[in-house]
Amino acid sequence: MKTILQAENLEKSYRVGRVDVHALRGVSLDVHEGEFVAIMGPSGCGKSTMLHLLGGLLTPTSGRIIIDEEDLTAASDAARTDIRRRKIGFVFQRFNLFPTLTAEGNLRLAERIQSDGKGDDPERRHEVLRLLRLEDKMHHKPLELSGGEQQRVALARAVVTRPAIILADEPTGNLDSENSAIVLNMFQELNYRFNQTIIMITHNPEAAAMCRRIVQMRDGQIVERTAAVHIS
Amino acid sequence: MNNLVVSNIRQRPLRTLMSVLGVALGVTLVMLFTGLAHGMSNDLQRRSSNMRAEIIFTRPGSQQLTASLMNLSTQYTSRLEAIEGVERATPVAIQANQTGRGFGFENVEGVEWESFAAINETKIVRGRAPAEIDEIVIDETKARNSKTDVGGTLRLFGNKPYRVTGVYAPESGARIKMPLAAMQDALEAPDKCSYILVKCHNAAEQETVAERINSELPGNKMQLTRDVVVNFEKSIPYLGTFLRVLVGLAAVVSALVVMLAMYTTITERTREIGILKALGASRGFIISTIEKEAVTISSIGLLLGFVIAFVSGFLINRIYGLVFEYEWEWALVAAAIGLLGGVLGALYPATRAANLDAVNALSYE
Repeated sequence: MKTILQAENLEKSYRVGRVDVHALRGVSLDVHEGEFVAIMGPSGCGKSTMLHLLGGLLTPTSGRIIIDEEDLTAASDAARTDIRRRKIGFVFQRFNLFPTLTAEGNLRLAERIQSDGKGDDPERRHEVLRLLRLEDKMHHKPLELSGGEQQRVALARAVVTRPAIILADEPTGNLDSENSAIVLNMFQELNYRFNQTIIMITHNPEAAAMCRRIVQMRDGQIVERTAAVHIS
Repeated sequence: MNNLVVSNIRQRPLRTLMSVLGVALGVTLVMLFTGLAHGMSNDLQRRSSNMRAEIIFTRPGSQQLTASLMNLSTQYTSRLEAIEGVERATPVAIQANQTGRGFGFENVEGVEWESFAAINETKIVRGRAPAEIDEIVIDETKARNSKTDVGGTLRLFGNKPYRVTGVYAPESGARIKMPLAAMQDALEAPDKCSYILVKCHNAAEQETVAERINSELPGNKMQLTRDVVVNFEKSIPYLGTFLRVLVGLAAVVSALVVMLAMYTTITERTREIGILKALGASRGFIISTIEKEAVTISSIGLLLGFVIAFVSGFLINRIYGLVFEYEWEWALVAAAIGLLGGVLGALYPATRAANLDAVNALSYE
C-alpha cells in the first residue's frame, strides 16, 4: 500500500521570552493511502502543532515530511503553499467558512484557489454537496446553516479539490452529539467509499473509534499506536 | 453570492460607501477645478477672439478687458481716426461690477453702440441698442444665466436699476454693455474711457499702423488684440502649478482613503486570510483578491466622481454662470488618479495580508 504521508523525527521548538518550548520531540508517523487515523492526547501535547506541520502551515525545527512523494520540509514557502493547494484539505473545529459566501461559493473559492483562478466545475461541486446531503443548502450562507451543516460544508470544501489527504482539527469539537455523529459518518463514508486518506485530531474516544488507527500523543511525543476498536 | 470580491464589498456597505466617496472626491476635485479653469479660459478666449478691431489704444499703466481705470480721454478717438491706415476707432469704458450672487465680479462695458457694433460686427438679435443712461444690452449667455431678457432689469453699480433693451450676438468682451455716456455718468468720469479700439483698413498692416500711431501720439500704450489674453491659464501666474498640485493632492487623498479602508478590512478579515492560506492561496492570489476589491471600489468612485463633477458643473453654471469645460486629457488624468490611487493604496495592506502567518491568522479573534 502506498505511503501517502511520511513524517520523520519531527521536532518543533518555540521561543517564548527566554524559554525554549519543545512542542514536538522527535515524532515519526507513516500514513498509508486510504487510512483514517485519529490523533489523540491531552491539551498541549502537540497535536495541533503536528497537524499544522503536516499541512505545511508551520515548518519543523528539524525532521522531514514527505506528502505524496513531495518533500514539504525542503520546499520554499511558495512551494509549500503549492503542495498544500494541490494535496491537502483542511477541516477546522470552528468550520472557518467565508461568511459572505454561500455553501457553493465556499466550494467554488477552494476550486479557484486550487486551479489558480481557472477552475469552475459545478458538476463536481453539486456531486460533493449531494454526497454530504447538502444539495438543498448550496445557496445558503454559513449563518443560515446549523453547526453540523456548516461543518459538512467545510468537509465538502476540503474534498471538492480531490486532495491526497484531509487534515481535520477536532472537527466535532463545536458540535452536539447528534451533529457529531452525522459529520463523523460523513468522514467514514468518504474514507470507505472513496478511499480518502484522513488524519483527524480528536478528544472524543467515540470519534477516534470510528478511525482505523489511533495515535496517542503526550508531551510532544507519540506514546501509543493502536488499531481502533469499532463501536457498533 | 459566489464572488469573494463582490461579497466583501457588499458585506460592509458603509465602509465601501466611504471609500467610494473618498475616490469620488479626488476625481470630482480634479474635474471641477480643471473644468473651471479651462471653461473660464476658453470663454474669455472666445469673447476676445470675437473682437474684430486689431489695436487697443490705452494709457500706460492701464489694463485691458479686466481694467476699471477710466484714464483715457475720448478725444483721442477722432485723432486716431485721422491717422493713415485707421478705418475707425471707438472708445470703450470698462468697470468691474460685483454680482448679486456669491462673491464674484463681472465686467460691464460702456460703448458707443453704433461704432462698436460696426467694428466688431456685433448684431442686436432681440430688442434694440441702448440709448438712454439707464439702458443696457446683454449677450445671450448673460440672458440665459440671469434669466433676464428684453424688458427685464439688472441692478449694477450699487443697486442702480438698468433696463435691458436688447440682446446681442456674438458675445464679445463684457457680457453687459451700456452707452458710454451712461458709464461716464455712473462713474462721474465725463469724456473719459478705458481704451479705444482701432480698426485698420488692412488688417495685414496692423503693426505698421500701430507704429504710426505710436509716433503720432507718443506716450500712450498700444496692444494688438491678437496678443490680448488668449490663454487664461498662461495669464495667471502659477495656475498650472496650482492645478498640478491639486491633482497631486487628489491622488494622495484617493490613495489614503483606499489604503485606510483596505487596512481596516485586512485587520477585520485576518482570520479569513488565514483560511485562504490554509486552502493554499498563494501570495499572488491574496494580493490580487484585495487589489481587485480596491480596483472595484475605485472604479465605482471614479464613475461617481465623474457624475458628481458633471452634475455640480451643470448646477454651478446654471446658478452662478461659471463656465465648466471638461477635457479628455484631464478626465484621463482623473481616471488614472482614481484607479492608481486605489491600486497603490491597497498595495501595502494587500502585501501585509499576504505575509501574515497562517497559524496566527487562523487563531485571530
